[in-house]
Amino acid sequence: MLSRVANNLYWMGRYIERAEHLARYGKVIYFSSLDAPILKTYDRNFVQESMLYMAGIFDMKSTLEKDVLFTVGLDAQNSRSILSNVVLARENARGARSAISTELWEVINSYYHLVTNYSVDTYLTSGFYDFTQMILDKTSIVRDKIHGTLLHEGEWAIILIGMYIERVVQVISIINSKLNDIYKIEQAGLVTENSFEWTTLLKCVEAFDMNRKYYTSIPDKFQVLEFLLLNQSCPRSISNSLKGIIRYEEKIRIYEKLDSNTIGFKIGKLQQKYQYLTVDDFKDDVYGLLNYTHEKITEIGSELEKKYLSF
Amino acid sequence: MIMEPQIEGILDSYKPGNVHFDEVFKEYKKPKEHYQGIVENFNQLTLTDYERINNEVKNSFLNQGITFAVYAEDKKPDEQIFPFDLFPRIIPNEEWSVVEKGVIQRNKAINLFLNDIYHKKLILKDKVVPADLIFSSKNYLKDMVDFTPPGEIYTHICGTDLIKHTDGKYYILEDNLRCPSGVSYVLSNRLALKKSLFDLFNEMKVKSVYQYPEQLFEVLKTVTPKNIENPTIVVVTPGMYNSAYFEHSFLAQKMGIPLVEGRDLFVDKNFVYMKTIHGPQRVDVIYRRVDDEFLDPLCFRKDSMLGVAGLMNAYRAGNVTLANAPGTGVADDKAVYNYVPNIIKYYLNEEPILNNVKTYHCDREDDLKFVLENVDKLVVKPVDESGGYGITIGTTLTKEQIEQVKVRIKADTRKYIAQPIMSLSVHATYIEETKEFEPRHVDLRTFCLMGNDREYVLKGGLTRVALKRGNLIVNSSQGGGSKDTWVLD
Repeated sequence: MLSRVANNLYWMGRYIERAEHLARYGKVIYFSSLDAPILKTYDRNFVQESMLYMAGIFDMKSTLEKDVLFTVGLDAQNSRSILSNVVLARENARGARSAISTELWEVINSYYHLVTNYSVDTYLTSGFYDFTQMILDKTSIVRDKIHGTLLHEGEWAIILIGMYIERVVQVISIINSKLNDIYKIEQAGLVTENSFEWTTLLKCVEAFDMNRKYYTSIPDKFQVLEFLLLNQSCPRSISNSLKGIIRYEEKIRIYEKLDSNTIGFKIGKLQQKYQYLTVDDFKDDVYGLLNYTHEKITEIGSELEKKYLSF
Repeated sequence: MIMEPQIEGILDSYKPGNVHFDEVFKEYKKPKEHYQGIVENFNQLTLTDYERINNEVKNSFLNQGITFAVYAEDKKPDEQIFPFDLFPRIIPNEEWSVVEKGVIQRNKAINLFLNDIYHKKLILKDKVVPADLIFSSKNYLKDMVDFTPPGEIYTHICGTDLIKHTDGKYYILEDNLRCPSGVSYVLSNRLALKKSLFDLFNEMKVKSVYQYPEQLFEVLKTVTPKNIENPTIVVVTPGMYNSAYFEHSFLAQKMGIPLVEGRDLFVDKNFVYMKTIHGPQRVDVIYRRVDDEFLDPLCFRKDSMLGVAGLMNAYRAGNVTLANAPGTGVADDKAVYNYVPNIIKYYLNEEPILNNVKTYHCDREDDLKFVLENVDKLVVKPVDESGGYGITIGTTLTKEQIEQVKVRIKADTRKYIAQPIMSLSVHATYIEETKEFEPRHVDLRTFCLMGNDREYVLKGGLTRVALKRGNLIVNSSQGGGSKDTWVLD
């Protein structure tokens, strides 16, 4: 596989995953807030700040809800909007057009046309739910085509490495964002039903039902963090995502001795840390663990690009 | 008595052209025999049905990415599909057989001609073709002199454009021997039509076009450099912003081979390699969709960012095959076109099967005089342009424009040829603005593959249609569309 094409596929995977997380987060946060237990004080600014924080937009001047929704969703000038992520996913797919199946290409391309032609008026008046749900549905179809129409070899593995790396980054951002929300609520001296924020966090990662099934109890802070960080069976947990990166990196690796400088070694080391971590190990410094993981996954991503994707 | 309104078919309002050869109708409401089935079928559709199918096809094209971007200042690029008309052109098998034989004959002769002018130059010594004409062509490459490509094949992929005149006969309009494009539309058009009008294919025996990528792959394999058993074959594209990128990626994908850009390749010790995730991998055959002048900055344009430094050395060392060979453009020079019938006789000792259009070359004194006196009645073409660029059609020019054309010709007589205004045949074509079928001019681009041991002509080719009323230029760059082309069994 050409390094340039691998680069396109890797970033295609990352942008698809990123758009999905942004859409899901926006949808869950926005609609959960409509009947939040502390509705009176849970003002709209709070929701908007949370969405902007998740999207990594820190210089937004307007506080009008419509402006925020537009900036996060359909603003072509904002490189962090959902639309921009979908455009970039499609451009990378186009750059690797001959390496992916017709089925996968057509799904990504039609996804792109749906998003770029989405009516801004509809989106801002009645379409926010439909728009974000469409992103989630289209991502599912794209994922299905990745698994169902590509040989389970190099191209497939590179896309999935990109998706899993992005998943780690996004789940860290989601947890950070929600912890930040809860901190602000506490700082404001507001009391919320404890389970509400943790339920919302689980829903942001599409993990609420799995969590209930696993623990059969009302979610609380450390139960949720244990689930999202350490659970080996939850598809979007950090631990499981790291296992995914290892699995797919092995698919593209040609035989090499794993010394401490290799990518395989570094991912393995991080995953092993997670495998033997307990809540007690991080409960006093959740941010510390999140920052450490973010730093390590960024380092692994850079080395992966240097080794396989440079051209 | 209340009369039931007579329901007309959607083609019943069509008024056949009486000046130009009409491909579909003999006269009003009377289709030619080979069109009867499809006209009956179309006439069973309501206009609403037809527009629905038309929209479905457009969506299918959009989703396949058969689009080009229109850039406007301060606006995001607008993606538009290449116009496609649902009503296919039909060519009876016996008519097609002649075209197929004629195209193979012509391209075989041209290939022999290229080999000759880059080696012994017998045809020039025998004065069948003027030597000056060849050596003055900017497309005659000194780097190709005395070099023999694998299998002595220069033109692996040829696009021969034909028209049908008022006499109902095919005429060759031009040869495209460098990077002829359009074949992906043939395959995509067929797919779109099969999806939307599948019943028609049950009724009519239409020859398949889907072998083309396989045939192209096999042809490329036949010209592998020596001692390579399992060649690595690639398609080289200028990149995703090139207007033909859809075609480049389509062909690479259908052949199952990598689509590479110049920056993915490098040359080391006269071997070409591509940069893969596991290090360099040797490349043996390159189907290049990059023009000669951009191929190798060491040999041609030094500012080329699209090519590969050292590629020509690797080629001349016999370590990689380029398809088509560099330097083939000298034979599709429109001034050389005039000599192709003689070229066919010279090398094959056969009469040309397909007709040439009478051509005046402005570099010849008599021809120049005639052309300057008759610009208003002629089509004037630059010899080395493609895509319909630089062409003027005398009957559409103002007096001032005619004078401008004369000035241009006199400034560079070698650059221009002129031909009588050929009357391209017309074909019923759906016009969205009027919601009716109207006659529109069409031509036909055929695709011929030539390998070491085989020739193959795609059944039917690409019918290009000038969508503007009265327009004779069918190129997509000039607002043309296309039609599926059926060769019937």
